[in-house]
Amino acid sequence: MAKPIGEDAISESVASRSSSCSQWSQWQLLDSILPTGGFAHSFGLEAAVQTRLVSSPTDLETHIIHVLDNTASLLLPFVYSSLKSPDIETWQRLDLLLDATLTNQVSSKASISQGSALFRIAASVFTEIPSLKTIRDASLGSSKELRFHHAPIFGLVCGLLGMDPEASQRAYLFVTLRDVVSAATRLNLVGPMGASVMQHRIAVVAETVLEKWKDRDAGEACQTSPLLDVVQGCHGYLFSRLFCS
Amino acid sequence: MATGKVVVEKIRGRSTATSCFSKYPLKFILPTKVAPVGTDVVWIYSITYGGGIVSGDSISCEFTIGDGCTAVLTTQSSTKVYKAIGSKCSEQTLEVMFLSHVCYNHLSCARIGSESLLVVVPDPVTCFSTARYYQKQNFRLLSDSNLVLVDWITSGRHANGEKWDFEFYKSINNVYLEDDKPLFLDTVLLEKRNIQSIAERMQDYHAIAMVILFGPKLRELQKQVQENVKNMMSEQLQISYSSRRHNPDSRVRNGFMKPEFIASCSTFGPEGKGVVVRIASDSTESVYNFLRQQLGDLEPLLGQSPYA
Repeated sequence: MAKPIGEDAISESVASRSSSCSQWSQWQLLDSILPTGGFAHSFGLEAAVQTRLVSSPTDLETHIIHVLDNTASLLLPFVYSSLKSPDIETWQRLDLLLDATLTNQVSSKASISQGSALFRIAASVFTEIPSLKTIRDASLGSSKELRFHHAPIFGLVCGLLGMDPEASQRAYLFVTLRDVVSAATRLNLVGPMGASVMQHRIAVVAETVLEKWKDRDAGEACQTSPLLDVVQGCHGYLFSRLFCS
Repeated sequence: MATGKVVVEKIRGRSTATSCFSKYPLKFILPTKVAPVGTDVVWIYSITYGGGIVSGDSISCEFTIGDGCTAVLTTQSSTKVYKAIGSKCSEQTLEVMFLSHVCYNHLSCARIGSESLLVVVPDPVTCFSTARYYQKQNFRLLSDSNLVLVDWITSGRHANGEKWDFEFYKSINNVYLEDDKPLFLDTVLLEKRNIQSIAERMQDYHAIAMVILFGPKLRELQKQVQENVKNMMSEQLQISYSSRRHNPDSRVRNGFMKPEFIASCSTFGPEGKGVVVRIASDSTESVYNFLRQQLGDLEPLLGQSPYA
C-alpha cells in the first residue's frame, strides 16, 4: 500500500522551513556586519608587509593561502571538536587546550577578543538557544582560567545552531579569508574589486585546504607555516600599525 | 623499552646521574669536565651512532630530574636524518619528568615542588632529501621547575642544493604542569606537498628555531631576551618603515631585502611565567650566534655557555 503522500510532503515542508530559518541564522553568523571585531586583525599581514615578506600581489595571494592552511591545520580541529559535542565541559576543556597551543601572544589576544565578542553576541542574538547564555554565564563566573578563544566558540555556536559539520568548518575558513582579504584592502595592497576577484580565486584553494584538514580532533592540531608564527609575533614591534594583530 | 634513560638526583647535595642507560643507536656521554669544579650540574651529550638517524630508527628516552638538580641535555653535532627507505619514518621521543621526590631520602617526599633546572640545547635537526622524521618531547614540570628548551631545524644540505627537500618532519613539544595541566603544546608539521611546498612556506629562510624559557630561576634571563629581541626587531622594522615611506615607488621598495633574521617573543602560561622565542633565519650560523648570545647568562648555572 502506498504511504500517505500528505505525511511526506508535510515533513519535507517542515524540514525545508527549518532549513530556511537556519539559513538566516547561518548567514547572519558569517556576515561581516556581525560585530565580533574581526576587522581589527590582519592575521599577520601587516607584519608580513613591514618585514617585506609580502611586497607584491603574488606575495599577497601566497600569504593568504598560507594563512588559510595554517588556520586550518591549527584551529579547524578545535572548531570540529567543539561542534561535535557542543556542551560546557567540552568547550571549557578545548578553550584551555587552545590557550596552551596558541602561544603566539599576538594571535592569542586576537583569538580571545574575537571569541569573547562572538560569545556575547551569539548569546544575545540566538535566544532560541538558551544554552548559549547559560554556558557563557557559568563560564564567566568560573574559577578556571578560561580565555574565550574564538575557534572553540565558533564551533560551539555552529553546533548548537545545528549547522552541518562540514559547512561549519568551511564557514570558519570563510570568515578567516573574508577578514584577511579585508585587511589587505585597508593596507592598500589591493583595491576592493581586485580583492573580490582574488577572494573568489582563492576560494578554490580554500576548499582543498578544507578537504585536507577537516574532521580532525583537537589533539591533532599543528602548525604548517612556522614562518607565519614568527612574523605575526613581530606585530608588537611594528613602528606604526593599523591593526591589533 | 626505552632506548635511553637518565636519572639525575641530588646525592650529598650535588646533582648526580644516578642512572644512565642507552642502547643502539643511541649513546649518552656524561663528561665531568665540561663545567668548572664546584658547578652543580650534569652535562649529558646524546650521540647517535653514525652521526645521524637512519630510516626506521626509533629512539625513545626518559629523563628524570630530581629536586633542586641542574642538567643540560645537548648533542655533539646536528642530528642528520637520512633518506627514507620506502615510507618508513625515523622517530625520536623524549619523556622528561621533574619529580619532587626522586631521592633516596624519603623525607623529601614532603617537599612541595622542586627548584630544578633542565636545559635542552641540541644542535639542529637536518633532514636530507626524502627523509621522514617524527619527534615527540614531553616535559612534566612542577610550577617551580625551570626549563630551557631549544628545538630547531635547518633546510637541508645546501651544498647538495637541498632546500626543505624532505618528505616529512613533525616535531611535538608538550609541556605539562602538575595534574597533567597543559602549559605549552606545540606541533610543527612540514610535509612535502604538490602545491604550497615547504620551500615556498619558508621563503628564503634556512633555519627555523624555537626557544622556551620557563621557571622562576629564569626570570632575569627572560626579561633580557625579550628586551634584546624587541630592540633588534624594532630597529629593523623602523628602518624598513622609513624607507617605505620615502620610497613609495614599488620598484625601489622591492630592492630592499627581507630581513636575514627575524625573531619574536611571546609570553605564555599562568601570569605569563613562560617566554617563547620564535626565529627564522637565512643561515644556521646566525641562529647559533643568537642562541649563544641570549643564553650566555646561563653560564654561571651550567659552568659553560650553551652553543659556545
